[in-house]
Amino acid sequence: MTPPADTGAPVDGDGRAIAGAGPDGFFGVRFESIGGLGAHLAGQILAESGVLCAGLNGSHFSSYGSEKKGSPLQSYVRFCEAGREIRRSDPIERPQVVVVFHQALVASGNVTAGLVPYGTIILNTTVDPGEMYGKLGIGAATVGTVDALAISVEESTRVNTAMMGAAARACPFIDPEAIRKTLAGRLGHRYPELVEANLRSFDRGYDEIRFKSFAGASTGAEPGPSGQEPVRVAPSYGYLEAPPGGVILQPGSTVVRNLSASREGFVAQFDPGKCTDCGICDAVCPDICFVWEVEPDGLGEGAVHLSGIDYHYCKGCLKCTEQCPTGALTVIREEDGWAEANRIPLYPWLETEAAL
Amino acid sequence: MAITLESTIAEDLREFPGEQVTDFKSGNEMAAISAKHIDFHLMGYYPITPSTEIAENLDAMRSEGEHEIVMIAADGEHGAAGICYGAATGGGRVFNATSSQGLLYSLEQLPVQSGTRFPMLLDIATRAISGPLDIRGDHSDIYFALNAGWLIFLARDPQAVYDMNIIALRCGERPEVQLPSIVAFDGFFTSHQKRRVQYFADPQVVRDYLGPVPDRVTSLDPRNPVTIGPYMNDPDLINNKYQHKLAMDAAETVIASEFAAYGKLSGRRYEMVDLYRMEDADVALFLLNSAAETAKDVADSLRNEGIRAGVVSPNVIRPFPASRIRNALSRVKALVIGERADSYGAHGGNIGHEVKSALKDDPENHTICLDRIYGIGGRDFYAEDAEALFRLAIETAEAGRSEVPYDYYGVVAKVHPKVRLRLPAISAEETTTGGLIKVEPDAGGRLRVETPPAWRLAARPKSVAPGHSACPGCGIFPALNTFFSGLGGDIVVLYQTGCAMVVSTGYPYSSHRVTYIHNLFQNGAATLGGLVEMFHERVRRGELPSGEDITFVMVSGDGGMDIGTGAALGAAVRNHGFILIEYDNEGYMNTGAQLSYSTPLGHMTSTSHIGPAQNGKAFHHRDMVQIMAATNIPYIFTGIEGFPDDLVAKGAKAQWYANHEGMAYGKVLISCPLNWRAEDREGVEIVQAAVDSCFFPLYEIEHGCTTITYDPEAVGRRVPVADWLRRMGKTRHLIRPANAGLLAEIEAEVERRWRRLKAMDENPLL
Repeated sequence: MTPPADTGAPVDGDGRAIAGAGPDGFFGVRFESIGGLGAHLAGQILAESGVLCAGLNGSHFSSYGSEKKGSPLQSYVRFCEAGREIRRSDPIERPQVVVVFHQALVASGNVTAGLVPYGTIILNTTVDPGEMYGKLGIGAATVGTVDALAISVEESTRVNTAMMGAAARACPFIDPEAIRKTLAGRLGHRYPELVEANLRSFDRGYDEIRFKSFAGASTGAEPGPSGQEPVRVAPSYGYLEAPPGGVILQPGSTVVRNLSASREGFVAQFDPGKCTDCGICDAVCPDICFVWEVEPDGLGEGAVHLSGIDYHYCKGCLKCTEQCPTGALTVIREEDGWAEANRIPLYPWLETEAAL
Repeated sequence: MAITLESTIAEDLREFPGEQVTDFKSGNEMAAISAKHIDFHLMGYYPITPSTEIAENLDAMRSEGEHEIVMIAADGEHGAAGICYGAATGGGRVFNATSSQGLLYSLEQLPVQSGTRFPMLLDIATRAISGPLDIRGDHSDIYFALNAGWLIFLARDPQAVYDMNIIALRCGERPEVQLPSIVAFDGFFTSHQKRRVQYFADPQVVRDYLGPVPDRVTSLDPRNPVTIGPYMNDPDLINNKYQHKLAMDAAETVIASEFAAYGKLSGRRYEMVDLYRMEDADVALFLLNSAAETAKDVADSLRNEGIRAGVVSPNVIRPFPASRIRNALSRVKALVIGERADSYGAHGGNIGHEVKSALKDDPENHTICLDRIYGIGGRDFYAEDAEALFRLAIETAEAGRSEVPYDYYGVVAKVHPKVRLRLPAISAEETTTGGLIKVEPDAGGRLRVETPPAWRLAARPKSVAPGHSACPGCGIFPALNTFFSGLGGDIVVLYQTGCAMVVSTGYPYSSHRVTYIHNLFQNGAATLGGLVEMFHERVRRGELPSGEDITFVMVSGDGGMDIGTGAALGAAVRNHGFILIEYDNEGYMNTGAQLSYSTPLGHMTSTSHIGPAQNGKAFHHRDMVQIMAATNIPYIFTGIEGFPDDLVAKGAKAQWYANHEGMAYGKVLISCPLNWRAEDREGVEIVQAAVDSCFFPLYEIEHGCTTITYDPEAVGRRVPVADWLRRMGKTRHLIRPANAGLLAEIEAEVERRWRRLKAMDENPLL
């Protein structure tokens, strides 16, 4: 991979600018992930390697809320030359590199937002860069893809170390050996038994990523951001519209959400032929995604039948597969589009109303 | 940063005696490192985002043997403040850290400590105050501390957190000051952001700088008895307060000289007021903490346009450096004071008024001041926001007057929201248990319950709708929905702060299909008690229809039962007619798995680490069920997720008692796969193993009579405690041969409580 040519970033004092840094002198890396995959730690280790080993100045932070495991999360790394003081604390809106830990975010999120022209986007996916470029719908950019999930399964690590290896390729101003050392130091202190596997994961991510550069559609004008325009979170209501006191007047309104991106690659498959409608799956499901049908049984009492799963709500915990006494619920690796095709909507009318 | 640029370059540090280490750390990490270097005697704390990591980091260091500070996990911030106060009277060095409502909950203790003149250090990672609950960083908490009588230092970045902690303690301990000190830094922006930082290579340099604790009154010198905190009315109190005022006055001199001394030691020189390009500034922004740093970059770019822009930001706000601010602003034409908190009804935030008041004392001053409330709830502050505020100052300077002296910056009037979808209220027909569940008192004064198999209840509407954002595998909602499926009729719920609350009500969405109230977890039981009595009174007055009962249910985590013990016991003693259900996942999982009083002995949490010097939690789990039993409420039960036959029946009973006799309390063990370090799918097996090992017996207490509802011994399913512990990463260390003694201690306590329970089951008088 060749990073784009120097953009003429200003150089403070006798320091050197980072190749590829923006006109403000910063080189930004944004990790797009869901909680639990280790993107926060990956960002910390990359930033620490840059600052303590590569002679750069840098900062790291993540998007913070009360988001839980499985919820979308961004982790930000900002680099500049060593003599420059970092004063800003704002999220990185125009990153030079975007690292996507979880392919499902491409469909549900806004991962390419603000990616600079000729920037690099790295994704954890089995898809090759050419096909992924088509899915992303972006301008001039380098796309890198790596099957970090497979690496993590084979090496018994989280996906974050393989993705760190892949991200290292997009930050050639940091010696990958420095990142390996930082990683080994962080893990080795408390979990020395995990170091070797994680370093292998890192190396495989570094070696196995495939890059391809795309010129994008030429407009003749100065290229804008390669990805979508960055969008800041807007309020849900204006102060002339919001019910006072923050009260929510719509009960049960979370049903409009689609939490499919929370699943980490595995999903429960339902086989109605084996189901005895015992209801145990429903009693252990955290996400209330089983769809039941009540059929009159002639005695005035409803017989209850399980018709399927609304995968918009399923976060893939697989508790139901563990508890199902008849084998009607089993674990499968989730292929792209499978859940949508096999989903039984819990509230079919929602789709109609949402469309209105 | 408030330090001169050249001093950040390592080579220049050679002239300073305190050799520095360069590292990459967050504000919370730097707070912990400074505490270790200071070598406090004791820290009393209660976790609250975003300051929690300070105690977590210190606990991790302690487990590694890096320090021996006594770490006391309090029962709430009020308790933490009390622990710190008591410890401070004993003459050692004391540390605490909190945020937001934690500061407010301890606020009552702050003037006690400053008024009786015992120094200590309190770090505040600033955060918006409730309600509605917001966890991100603004300054509404620290504004409440302005009148507490403490010194208040600000730390604008992670480096300053370390430096200010050391300086603030030193200043507060000076005999002419003798006041406790707060160091406040921006929640998340500073507490959680990692930056390049430096600290002393040798902690002894810090300890030498601080010196021994200066002689002062101590409660630990029996040969010299003293009375601390007497009863003092007028005419003495005013003189006492004047002493306090004089101490604050003295502090201004002390702080300035300590800044100089520390600068000589470290190479990092702070001033009372940080002035950036103010020598000739026509326009300026006055900002606290991290936003001021962002504004400096913008001042630079405006200077390139030929605009003489500068930034003023204090490093100390108590004492308020009025004269320095006055001098700095003497020639400024227009100043915009940006404030991350308002003082409602005061026509400006607190600090804005103090700045204006400082200028009023200079009859020659003609600076036009504008006050703008911005960044509420931790909203990000971008360069363009700073620029917009500068442009406002420039326009004002040009116009020579301000049209709107006080306003909000960044509010939105209308977004024209789409009609938000909703689920219909659960209908009266749907709420009825329709004969599925029957509850009747038997001749012996207990309830007999008939419940259907799980499948009959599966299709009933649930009070919590899907789409919540709990972690995959979370046991909260399966347990709650199972419990609620045993209840019929209308329900109103109150959730205390915790995971269930946060993941089900992220604005503008709610997962709740029934009316829901949140209150902070020190007070939920009192709140619901009040509501229950209001319901009955309005029915009595004919304002609400009689005969249509509402069942009131309070939902709390085990954390809420720590800080909320007092309110829960009060409600129980008053016997309000509601159900209190506690989901117990053995820790403060909403804030990142700190120990709770429900965390069993030896379990690893983020405040009970495992290491060479520490082996998980140091004391046994509290038996809240038996504590509640001592209040003699009519019905008490335990349950687990994934055992609907048991929990549905208990729900039905709890409802009957709440609606006929008084309070019902239940504790339900649920899994937290993330923080128990287990597979998402294994929760049900783990809690079942907790039951089968007799760690968590399933039983109920009806009118004081105990019945074990599932006896693993009787059905031949009892397993060793180790079979439960080996299923979780947080407890796997307890299985190692090296920990055999600790495991035996756990087994003995489990057995003791189980045998006692068996005896109670067998004897109605126990």
